[in-house]
Amino acid sequence: MSCAVRTEGLRKEFPMGWFRGRVLALEGLDMEVQRGEVFGLLGPNGSGKSTAMKMILGLLRPTSGRAEVCGYRAGTIAARRQIGFLPENPYFPNFLSGAELVRYYGRLSGMGGALLEKRILELLELVRLGGEAGKRPLRTYSKGMLQRAGLAGAMVGDPEILMLDEPTAGVDPAGSREIRDLILELRGRGKTVIFSSHLLEQVEDVADRVIILHRGQKLREGRLEELLTRKKEWEVNVQGLKEEDRKELRGWLEKRGAQVMREGAPRERLEDYFLRSLPEEKRR
Amino acid sequence: MGSLRRIAAVAGNTFLEAVRQKVFAVLLVFGLVLIFGANYFTEFSFQEQFKFLKDLGYAAISLTGLLVGLLGAAQLIPGEIERRTILTALCRPLRRWEFIAGKYVGLAFLLAVMVGVMAVAVAGVLGWKEAQLIAREGSDPAVAAAIRAEARDPRLIQAVLLVEVKLAVVAAVAVFFSTVATSTTFVMAMTLMVYLIGHLESVAREQWLESGEVVSWMTKAFLAGVAFLVPDFNLYNLIDEIVAGNVVLWRSTLEVIGYSVVYIAVLLTAAWVIFEGRDI
Repeated sequence: MSCAVRTEGLRKEFPMGWFRGRVLALEGLDMEVQRGEVFGLLGPNGSGKSTAMKMILGLLRPTSGRAEVCGYRAGTIAARRQIGFLPENPYFPNFLSGAELVRYYGRLSGMGGALLEKRILELLELVRLGGEAGKRPLRTYSKGMLQRAGLAGAMVGDPEILMLDEPTAGVDPAGSREIRDLILELRGRGKTVIFSSHLLEQVEDVADRVIILHRGQKLREGRLEELLTRKKEWEVNVQGLKEEDRKELRGWLEKRGAQVMREGAPRERLEDYFLRSLPEEKRR
Repeated sequence: MGSLRRIAAVAGNTFLEAVRQKVFAVLLVFGLVLIFGANYFTEFSFQEQFKFLKDLGYAAISLTGLLVGLLGAAQLIPGEIERRTILTALCRPLRRWEFIAGKYVGLAFLLAVMVGVMAVAVAGVLGWKEAQLIAREGSDPAVAAAIRAEARDPRLIQAVLLVEVKLAVVAAVAVFFSTVATSTTFVMAMTLMVYLIGHLESVAREQWLESGEVVSWMTKAFLAGVAFLVPDFNLYNLIDEIVAGNVVLWRSTLEVIGYSVVYIAVLLTAAWVIFEGRDI
């Protein structure tokens, strides 16, 4: 079975205007996202995350390279049927209500009739906008509600892949948690979720694998377990160890040449790892 | 079938957006006030009164339609790009030509509804005036028949159709510019410019060609280029003939409609070709 998303040497340059040359936004990105994975695209502003997403969606044409979605060339109708997208800081047609927004996106996806109406009710319930909330105009929604309405719109065609660009940007912690829970729920339903975020703790909580981008280049890629685990160290989580036994254990380890670095959870925070991945000048 | 559903969704959303915005309602009220206000100018003979009512009525429809067309055009694609709502539409299984067609149909339908509402208002005012005049001057059956003939002139349907297609061409020009533009102001300015050039081009052509001077090939090429690129809006002056009470053949009306349809098709095709390769 083909992977959910595959890119090969994906490159994008933007013209700056007459006689002003071109700016490189993404340089030869190779990436594979397996079906059912939650995949994080990390990087500072301008690192190429949104550009990569837009090329996978067919909103931007690659300068060179190629992208595939479930085996279809990116940008084709067949490929776009497989993806639901929530852009960064989305501005939806605010004259619509939540239910009307989902209906509009459903129609754009070729849906209609009783099937669409049933799907609208299901999705609004799923994103906790059921009942009266779904009938209110979007201009009265909070940022968190807008993001959830957008998620419902992204899911209306029951796509295989959900692509979320900074889904928690500008959302308060409670709203962020709701979106994080939704991502986990989607993973539970077997969906592939590709998302970008600068809120690294949230990425750490939900992502299976990540790519770190910087100035259009891929710096690191891998499973979070592999990237964040210090392989030369060993961690044993024990319960009910008495203080005198702990001291004895430590002495026993040292007697055998082992150096006890620290006691407790050895795992590094993703934020530290991320900053360490960046070039020196960007860390300051 | 799928394409039709998607085009209808974009068109419906474009129309709904306009309907829910106060500015379009205000423009419609402005047009209606102008039409109903005309009824209070009663210092002329009844023929002059009807001509005045028709003149002002069709001027109100044209002006309001043009303003609605320009404002609606500004909100088409550049407005969606500025608000970033286009991202959530074009990432769907929606072809770009379907998006363009939907936007155009939505705007054209909005213009058709506004023209329709105002045309009914003009007919209402003419009927109202007819009732007033017959009550006052209609004791003579010949005069009453003349008043009825003025008020219920079937040629006015031709005039409504011509206003309709003229505004549909303006909407197509706006759609074309909205695929190349990045700002709403640019679309409005360019559409207005084409509208003005379209009104002046035949006058300029006649001036140059009939002045008796030897016209250089460059001037000829320039005039031919302008004539090819810019729709000749003077063709719609048939409306003035109809309002003036002159006979305009249906054949002439249909020829102008045919010309408009061809221009609309060319403009929308060009818009699609440009928009197809555009990065969003």
